[in-house]
Amino acid sequence: MAFDVAVIGAGVMGCSTALHLARGSMRVALLDRGAICREASGVNAGTLTMQMTRAALIPYALRAHEMWLRMPEWCDGGSVLAVACPGLSVAFTEAEAALLETRAQARRAAGAPIELISGGRAMEIEPGLSDRVLLAGHCPIDGFTSAYLTGRAFRPALLNAGVALFENRAVWGIDREAGRFVLETESGPLQAKRIVLAGGVWLEEMAAWLGVTLTIKVLINQLVVTERIAPAMRTVMGVASGLLSLKQYANGTVLIGGGWQGIGDRQRGGLAVRAENFSGNVRLAAYTIPALREARVVRAWLGLEAETADALPAIGPIPGVADAWIIGSVHSGYTSGPYFGKLLAQAVLGEAPEMPLFPIDRLLAMEHA
Amino acid sequence: MARPAEVAFSFDGATLRAPVGESLAAALIAAGLRRLGEGPGSPRAAFCMMGTCQQCLVRVDGRLAQACLVPVRAGMAVTPA
Amino acid sequence: MSAPFDLAVLGAGPAGMAAATEAARRGARVVLLEESPAPGGQVYRAAPPGFLVPPDPDRRAGDALRAALATSGTTLLLGHRVWGLGGGPLVPQGAPPLPFRVDALPPDGAPLTLEARALILCAGTHERIIPFPGWTLPGVIGLAAATILLKAQGVLPGRRVVVAGAGPLLYAVAAKLLKAGAEVAAIADLATQGEWARALPTLTARPDLLARGLAWRAALATKGVPVLAAHRVVAAEGADAVERVRLQALSGGTSESFDCDALCVGHGLVPATEATRVFRAAHRYARESGGWVPVLDADRRTSVPLLYVAGDGGGVRGAAAAPAAGRLAALAALRDLGLLDGRAHARARRRPALEHWRAAQGGAAMARMMALRPALVDAIAPETVVCRCEGVTRAEIEAALDDGATEMNQLKQFTRCGMGPCQGRVCGEAAAELVARRVGGRERAGFATGRLPLRPVPMEAVLGDFDYADIPVPAPAPL
Repeated sequence: MAFDVAVIGAGVMGCSTALHLARGSMRVALLDRGAICREASGVNAGTLTMQMTRAALIPYALRAHEMWLRMPEWCDGGSVLAVACPGLSVAFTEAEAALLETRAQARRAAGAPIELISGGRAMEIEPGLSDRVLLAGHCPIDGFTSAYLTGRAFRPALLNAGVALFENRAVWGIDREAGRFVLETESGPLQAKRIVLAGGVWLEEMAAWLGVTLTIKVLINQLVVTERIAPAMRTVMGVASGLLSLKQYANGTVLIGGGWQGIGDRQRGGLAVRAENFSGNVRLAAYTIPALREARVVRAWLGLEAETADALPAIGPIPGVADAWIIGSVHSGYTSGPYFGKLLAQAVLGEAPEMPLFPIDRLLAMEHA
Repeated sequence: MARPAEVAFSFDGATLRAPVGESLAAALIAAGLRRLGEGPGSPRAAFCMMGTCQQCLVRVDGRLAQACLVPVRAGMAVTPA
Repeated sequence: MSAPFDLAVLGAGPAGMAAATEAARRGARVVLLEESPAPGGQVYRAAPPGFLVPPDPDRRAGDALRAALATSGTTLLLGHRVWGLGGGPLVPQGAPPLPFRVDALPPDGAPLTLEARALILCAGTHERIIPFPGWTLPGVIGLAAATILLKAQGVLPGRRVVVAGAGPLLYAVAAKLLKAGAEVAAIADLATQGEWARALPTLTARPDLLARGLAWRAALATKGVPVLAAHRVVAAEGADAVERVRLQALSGGTSESFDCDALCVGHGLVPATEATRVFRAAHRYARESGGWVPVLDADRRTSVPLLYVAGDGGGVRGAAAAPAAGRLAALAALRDLGLLDGRAHARARRRPALEHWRAAQGGAAMARMMALRPALVDAIAPETVVCRCEGVTRAEIEAALDDGATEMNQLKQFTRCGMGPCQGRVCGEAAAELVARRVGGRERAGFATGRLPLRPVPMEAVLGDFDYADIPVPAPAPL
């Protein structure tokens, strides 16, 4: 017996793709070498902000933002406690202000309702903000989720939709036999008519199973969380360079991210924080929201983010391999993830995707060049 | 047991006395002050006395500190965390 | 940062004091970091300055170790909370190992970072307390906590106290309470008389400990303290603080209520493995040693080169066995650093190896008495809070397991259990047992990945004084 499609990788992209395929009447297997959403999709900062999204992805992120906020409606009650709130991206120096202006303009042109405001106006929106801000980008459509809930949020809906979920089932390779894919897994072969590779930073190895060379860069993003503190902020904060994300959850904890790099790799995962990047990241956070000086840091951890050669997503058919698809390597991929999964599912189901995909032909051409 | 001289310090505005150098958590227990704050779902009170459980978190002169790891000093101003 | 030390020892209990002393006496540059204001650890804890405590065998053993340490040439950093670790194997792929990095927070002043070529971890244990209704009431404290209050501070946890749980600490605490003038309302021992009887032969190698245990029992008998064997706490009850404790036989039946103003309770000791988890050392689950322990060779080497564990942090064997383990670890470190040749090492390790073997027999018997008892976990009520930091009940944990959580890290994500400031140290044992019941054992339930900081660290300590220009902001993310 063969599945209509096997999705390899149960992160947010794989889960959304699998869910929408199953609702499109396909028999879907979703496999992961670990548990559902236990890698980047479960440990990222949960930021839903247009001001850290690449300009080309803004139209997608806006649609995904709405999907996150309405997740219980389309995901059988599954929730990541998504919160809508204004977002601020701030500049402390003239150089950052110039950067902010350029970036806000590009993102506004792509559809994000970002306006530039003074530091004083920014403090009205975010009373916790430092008084040293020169200029701020303000986007009323921002927000955040509790990313650690992502797996729990998707799981019941996947099962309800009939997805055969195989957690802790690593795939070692893929063969083709009689027009079908045979997945070699740790607990025996699994057959499928189509495959979707959704393996995040491990897409490079997965593509290689099919003889496709696709270089995927691995970012080792550091995250830091404080213990519960009194209300210190009410927006999603960032800085012009994109190197800070900051939000306070309803329980009082403050999550500090921004993509400062730690130590790790694909093989060993996230291994350790880099001391100078740990202090740099929290200094930037405390400089932005001074009340954080009063907090204690409870935990730091690492999440692996994938990036293609041009830092734009890999979403579409795999050239030269019929019925094989790929999805991943989206910068700030969590933000746009559920929508990208929905789009790819439309393509796999033979429908016209409501927005263009990001086929990887361009990346393969770069490999050959 | 012989103890050093008692000194005065304050907890939430009230003046208390305890031997200098005694752990603050012990001094608060000796003074009958066991409930140190509210946690999510249960009150907070000194529990492990060895710096592990984080239930005795207070502010000492404005700074967060675990009472079980802080020796009593004359004049210290202790407030709930 | 100054030149790396040859050896850093974390934790100045009996294992750490002996390890540092041994290495420093043999000429190594050694630094010993300790969170408390004085060396000693939990069992050999020193009283604060100015507290004159009548000497007991523990104090005398501790004083001997302290005296040897003081003249050994060890750099002793007291009141230093270690929150960060790095170096060693924690390097980018293909890079050679670095010296170990230790980030510490001194009592006052600027944060400290130092380096060492080898690292001995002597983190000891924390107490296991399996939740029951009312365990979060003020007036309920750990047995180890009670020991600290009574021995080092001379402070009573209450006037009329119920003492409950497992292991020799029960009787030590009860006897000290009586001596300090408190009333002991009752003792509820999880063990049967038979379990104690079976443990006794291993203690005959330590007549001193045996005699002390018998003296405690005699003192309790003289005062007519009810000792209930094979009993557990059903609930602690009271409005704002504990007012009474209900006890019940493990076999069931009606519960008996005892009025009190304090409950001292402990269900054994759990090795502190946070640091070995951070370094990704190999671990194994050993219920009779207290839980997950790092895999160690006979000389206390972990699976990570130049990283060693001595004392109860490597598996509960008691304070008496700890100094010998510390010396073995120190000798192995010197050997591995090339500061001791093979023959000298073989000669030097003989005596501590024998001492450790002897002392560990009794320690292992006591560890077995304190091993986790599944019946207590079975009895946790659905509405009882398991994770106190985050207010997570057993029912919420079970719901997450129903929703498909299969191991500890996933349970943490699904419920926030273990995400709070104690970092899972208090709730970890109960939560892991609840997962283990569903997935077929503690090995499969796993453990939470080691994360920094080792303890919550005030932001100010990390920040220091800085200007915006001091922040090394990386290149902007792609637009």
